[in-house]
Amino acid sequence: MAVADFVKSAGESFRVGWKIESNWTDPVLFATYQVIRPLASLLIVAFIVIIGAAAGASQNPTFYTQYLAWLIVGNAFYAFVLQIMLGMAILVHVDRTRYEVLKNIYISPGTLHPYVIGRGLVSVVNGAVSVILTLLFSVAIFNGLLHMNIPLNLLNVNLLILFPAVILGIISLLAIGYMLCAVNIVSNRMEFILGDSVSGIFFLLGGVIFPIALLPSYVQPISNVLPITYLLNAVRESFGLLPTASYMSDLAYLALTTLVTLIIGITVFRLAEQRAKKLGLFDRKSEY
Amino acid sequence: MLPKATPREELLTNLRAAYARMWVRLRGSNREITGLVAEIGLPILTIGAYVILYRAIGLPPTAGAAVIIGGAMIAFWTNVLWNMSSQWFWERESGNLEMYLVAPVSRMSVLLGMAMGGSVNTSIRALGIVLLGIFVFQVPFQLADPLSVGLVFVLTLVALYTMGMLFASIFMLYGREAWNTANLLQEPVYFLSGAYFPRIYAPVVPFALQAAGSLIPMTIGLDAIRRLAINGESIATVWPHILALISCTLILFPLARRALNYMESLGKKEGRLTLRWQ
Repeated sequence: MAVADFVKSAGESFRVGWKIESNWTDPVLFATYQVIRPLASLLIVAFIVIIGAAAGASQNPTFYTQYLAWLIVGNAFYAFVLQIMLGMAILVHVDRTRYEVLKNIYISPGTLHPYVIGRGLVSVVNGAVSVILTLLFSVAIFNGLLHMNIPLNLLNVNLLILFPAVILGIISLLAIGYMLCAVNIVSNRMEFILGDSVSGIFFLLGGVIFPIALLPSYVQPISNVLPITYLLNAVRESFGLLPTASYMSDLAYLALTTLVTLIIGITVFRLAEQRAKKLGLFDRKSEY
Repeated sequence: MLPKATPREELLTNLRAAYARMWVRLRGSNREITGLVAEIGLPILTIGAYVILYRAIGLPPTAGAAVIIGGAMIAFWTNVLWNMSSQWFWERESGNLEMYLVAPVSRMSVLLGMAMGGSVNTSIRALGIVLLGIFVFQVPFQLADPLSVGLVFVLTLVALYTMGMLFASIFMLYGREAWNTANLLQEPVYFLSGAYFPRIYAPVVPFALQAAGSLIPMTIGLDAIRRLAINGESIATVWPHILALISCTLILFPLARRALNYMESLGKKEGRLTLRWQ
């Protein structure tokens, strides 16, 4: 398939996906829905830290403000994981069982690949909206409203460091989302579990709300092969919350893990596609 | 013309309908072992992250126990949202709603069956979460009065599932809003209920937040269970919680009934009861 055709098909898929996800309500309510969940997640962890500070668990008060800044950035960018994993994990089920259009998409000249990519990009846009709004609200709430003086200055973010890391991170997450779609093409029992499982593993092992050094030593090797770990490290470095000296090595590891997930994602998807065609799974109905 | 059923016959028919709906729920949710394993294992991932966060900021191990109980109670909230509130939406999408509507039983008996089945199913999963959480994270519990914990737990479930009945009625005519609204009511409720905090009714938590959280029966029940099971307090300290939970049930049940009748009648007038793919 020519690149231009692929891009065109992915663009059309994005347009359809965006309409499905957003046109059930007006834009203001849609934006509110997009921001409330990640903001509530952030408030949960922030209040845990505030309760810890009030209990005087640590003698050093600056520890809490620094930790809160570290945590806000990790939690905000975790929105990409949530949106992409949950969006792509349910995609095949919704199109095959609910709208019953997966078979039509499959037999169209565009094929499934650009379709999945286009729908995944809708989750990326949703994730980006959540990240930006969560960061803005965090500064407004914790520094503006609660006067906590958290060392988080959104105007001092090093965008040259941030963008390459975010782009690589998004590619790796889309590749993982690709695998989730592949699993759902050949299975009809995992659609409600997969997205939560993968995002839950990333939440625990990816250094989202605590440094991975606090994990048991036998689990840390798993954290070290997850792209999310390096994505969040690099993002925190761009916000000045970690020393930038290790940025290049974090970016290199992120690029390497992204390449590996991309190869595995495409391979798994192709295998699932072949198996589904062989067993006639593209029009399987599973909800009665 | 069919003879009119006596009140006793009517009651029996409705109880049979509730039992039948409960049976479907129990059977449907437990036939797939991967689902059962995931529903116990998945919350442990989140609970684990919060337990490690507590340790990172130097809070005592009892905070870990609080988050395990909170994680178990979240299983009930998730069940209420996705298997009670959104249920009529799923039924309409799969073409079953009209069958419920033409059945000679009260819609409330169907909701009651869903609630009974859902609460039994989720209790099994919640027990699994608590036991696995205790085993993995080795957190301390101080269970002095198990009967009181049982009483508060049952009252919490009754109030929570009654709220689920109300939501089911309100969600009845939703299209994609059902999916999005159920999604929306997850993390904000985890936050407001203090499920992942050591304690919601603490001086450091703003009063407005405590007041908003108290509108959710889970917040009240969770606080009472934590006091009894972690702090080793007696039932005398949680009387206000018990009264509040009973009040919630008494207020929410008639509201659910009225809402259900209203939404059904509105759906008939607007022809939306069989509308799919909205």
